[in-house]
Amino acid sequence: MSGLAQSFGVAALGGYVPLLRLDRKAASRELGWSGLPMPRAGMRSVADWDEDALTMAVEAARQLCRESAPDALRFASTSAYFTDRAQSGMALDALAMPRTVRTSDAANSRRAATSAMLDALLGRRDEIVTAGEKRPTQPGSAAQLTFGDGAAAVRTGPDAPARLAGHASLSHDLVDRYASRDHPFTYAYEERFVRDVAVAEVLVPVVRAACVAAGIAPGQLAHAAVHEPVGGCWRAVAKALDCGIPNHCEAVSEMAGDLGTAHALYGLGLALDTAEVGDFVLLVSFGSGADAMVFEVTSPVPGASAMAAALKEGQVLASYSRFLSLTGSLELDWGMRAEFEQKAQATVLERVGRDMIGFIGGRDSTGNVQFPKSAFPVNPALSEVEMMEDVRLADLEARIVSITADRLNFSPDPPFDFGLVQFKNGARVLVEMVNRPAEGFRVGDRVRMRLRIKAQNRRLGFRTYFWKAAPLMRPVLGDA
Amino acid sequence: MATGIRDKVAIIGMGCTRFGERWDVGADGLMVEAFLEALADAGIERARIEAAWVGNALDDINVGNSALPAAHALRLSTVPVTRVENMCATGTEALRGAAYAVASGAVDIALAIGVEKLKDTGYGGLPLRTKGMQNDLWMPYGSAPGTFAQLAGAYAARHGIAVGDLKRAMAHVSWKSHQNGALSPKAHLRGAVDMEKILNAPLIADPLGLFDCCGVSDGAAAAIVTTPEIARALGKADPVTIKAIQLSASNGWEMQFGAWDGASVPNTRAAAARAYAEAGIRDPRAELDMTEVHDCFSITELVIMEDLGLSDDGRAPADILDGRFDSGGAIPCQLDGGLKCFGHPVGASGLRMAYEVYTQLQGRAGERQRGKVDFGLTHNLGGSPFNSVAAVAILGRLN
Repeated sequence: MSGLAQSFGVAALGGYVPLLRLDRKAASRELGWSGLPMPRAGMRSVADWDEDALTMAVEAARQLCRESAPDALRFASTSAYFTDRAQSGMALDALAMPRTVRTSDAANSRRAATSAMLDALLGRRDEIVTAGEKRPTQPGSAAQLTFGDGAAAVRTGPDAPARLAGHASLSHDLVDRYASRDHPFTYAYEERFVRDVAVAEVLVPVVRAACVAAGIAPGQLAHAAVHEPVGGCWRAVAKALDCGIPNHCEAVSEMAGDLGTAHALYGLGLALDTAEVGDFVLLVSFGSGADAMVFEVTSPVPGASAMAAALKEGQVLASYSRFLSLTGSLELDWGMRAEFEQKAQATVLERVGRDMIGFIGGRDSTGNVQFPKSAFPVNPALSEVEMMEDVRLADLEARIVSITADRLNFSPDPPFDFGLVQFKNGARVLVEMVNRPAEGFRVGDRVRMRLRIKAQNRRLGFRTYFWKAAPLMRPVLGDA
Repeated sequence: MATGIRDKVAIIGMGCTRFGERWDVGADGLMVEAFLEALADAGIERARIEAAWVGNALDDINVGNSALPAAHALRLSTVPVTRVENMCATGTEALRGAAYAVASGAVDIALAIGVEKLKDTGYGGLPLRTKGMQNDLWMPYGSAPGTFAQLAGAYAARHGIAVGDLKRAMAHVSWKSHQNGALSPKAHLRGAVDMEKILNAPLIADPLGLFDCCGVSDGAAAAIVTTPEIARALGKADPVTIKAIQLSASNGWEMQFGAWDGASVPNTRAAAARAYAEAGIRDPRAELDMTEVHDCFSITELVIMEDLGLSDDGRAPADILDGRFDSGGAIPCQLDGGLKCFGHPVGASGLRMAYEVYTQLQGRAGERQRGKVDFGLTHNLGGSPFNSVAAVAILGRLN
């Protein structure tokens, strides 16, 4: 446990929450006949069928990709799809970062992201840590309603607006809940036991130590972002340490659910959005122990307000059975067209995969951009082979040129919206659409690109990723 | 300077199976059925066929790659057989290969045959591809109705037409074809359908409803071609001749370059312009007596009428509703019911269209007969509106 008197800290934050929200009260009503205890307050975020920990982590991190690349890109999740293929490497290509940026994946603990972040801070490195979570849950379990899907990312660096003032960590193999290869759904132990032991043995000592390292008393903390293993922990810790400050992670739980590895970072975004210059902000993540960090705010932190705003945008998911289908809890018989199976070839991925997941097109000698690149440009004004300059389309707005809602081909969440979109730089691309607005898509609509699963082969356990078009703006919850 | 193939190739025999859900027969049987009719119609011995082109688009279903399935089915002994595939233009592509062989003088008599056995998939629509390639890493895998439905929104936007009004014109396209199909003994769907049913059908891909989509069926069609001189020697005093066959393929600019408005199919326009020139047709609206076009979806036929120059741009909905392309109209379209009623066994469709024009040219169409027919046009559109192969063929008589 140590204190740091330098300006390394949080340079910027990013967050991502899927569009859809399930109203917990409505869901618990569906299961009322069972008598099972269900959380009834607030909403949980629900990823689309084609979102996973990687796609959401990329969405959170892309907001942190300034002109200069970081020293390293770290990916953290307890629900990453691949177990022997680095998600961080795919995220690197999706974010179009140079391959010289170091990458690593962190897993197996809800505090994997903050541990990676603390390592970056202690190493005084400019790094991006991005955490995404889409954890499988079982219908009837409280976890299915308390968990949410989402992502949060942090960029560390020098001269940061939120300076790391002190930190502490404790390792403690407290089995509050677990998931394993043989039990992929979370298995939770009695809340009273977890709360008592976590507060006394882990949280109070680690927060106290971090404050000592920062040279402050707990009472000097202005805001907290504490990922509680179970509800009520922070209230007990705050009482023990005599610091009655709000825990911003509770708002994340209320509006989106427990985001696993991303939860504490998302709460930190909300805390920093509210904090004023000079405030001390506490970050605590929990999982087989805890990491605690105290930050001193020296100026507004980029990205924090966007995270707060994103929580208030979304679309309420009206159908409980659609929720079950999206979370993989209900296997519908989609008919023979769903038996379709397509194998992705590693050779093809090696040749062009980077341009695909990075959405890299090419600019020809007249300045026109096309996707994908080709030896002979598509531009009718050119007739010779030429080299094209890479142009990333993922971060550009486009407009819909043609569109349909296809109800014939299989989609796990029909209808299958797709059409041509036009970029201002000349590129025209046939893309799938996501986040269907209530009135559907229309020719002329403005769209932005989102990284999604393009195809998944469940038998072979493989996914490919590409970009899909989403409406430029999201509805505000309550208006949708 | 190339002179084209106008009147250099005669069609002396054609055959066409009954199209439909042919649970009774495989692709080989379909080919045999079409071949035997063509052979009898030509009045020649099978041994006189010196070369053959077989069109088959979806090799995963029963037929397989290469010449061998056709050579086996028809027992073509040591004949050079070539399999061709060009999406929905495959049937016309097979006819083009056989016609070019005759026109070049390489052979005297050649066979073109197209076949597709779609109904062994076990589901509706076209079969799905399973081999992942570069395009599959990014391109949406929409259905055929999904890709062609894109024309409707873009057309409505381009011409400022309400989608509801466009739907009525599209419904008339399907209504007209079902009226015609009811008179076609070889059609798959032979019942007339009223407008209300068409307009209120369930959506397949917005705004295409069930009756905006052509059927899915099994079928085969064949043509035997030779020189006009040999045709006459075989007793065909006024043989049907090929006036033109033209193809045009996308190089990708429609879907990758920003110039296209999505409301027309440039390849159809290019193929049609070349075909009219090859056939010596200056005013298609006055000179064409009938058309058999690629009505895979109602919106496709609507747009094709403009692409072929048979309607002014933006006027096809009005012309359709005015009945210009009905069986009693100025330029009837799909006198046999079209893809709408025959379904679309991909490799066979182009030759099935030629079969109807060939029959009409000879005045043998029975209650469907359009009076005297001098010129008939067939049109195929393969792929999607934004990435297509278009084929236009024009048939007439030698004299």
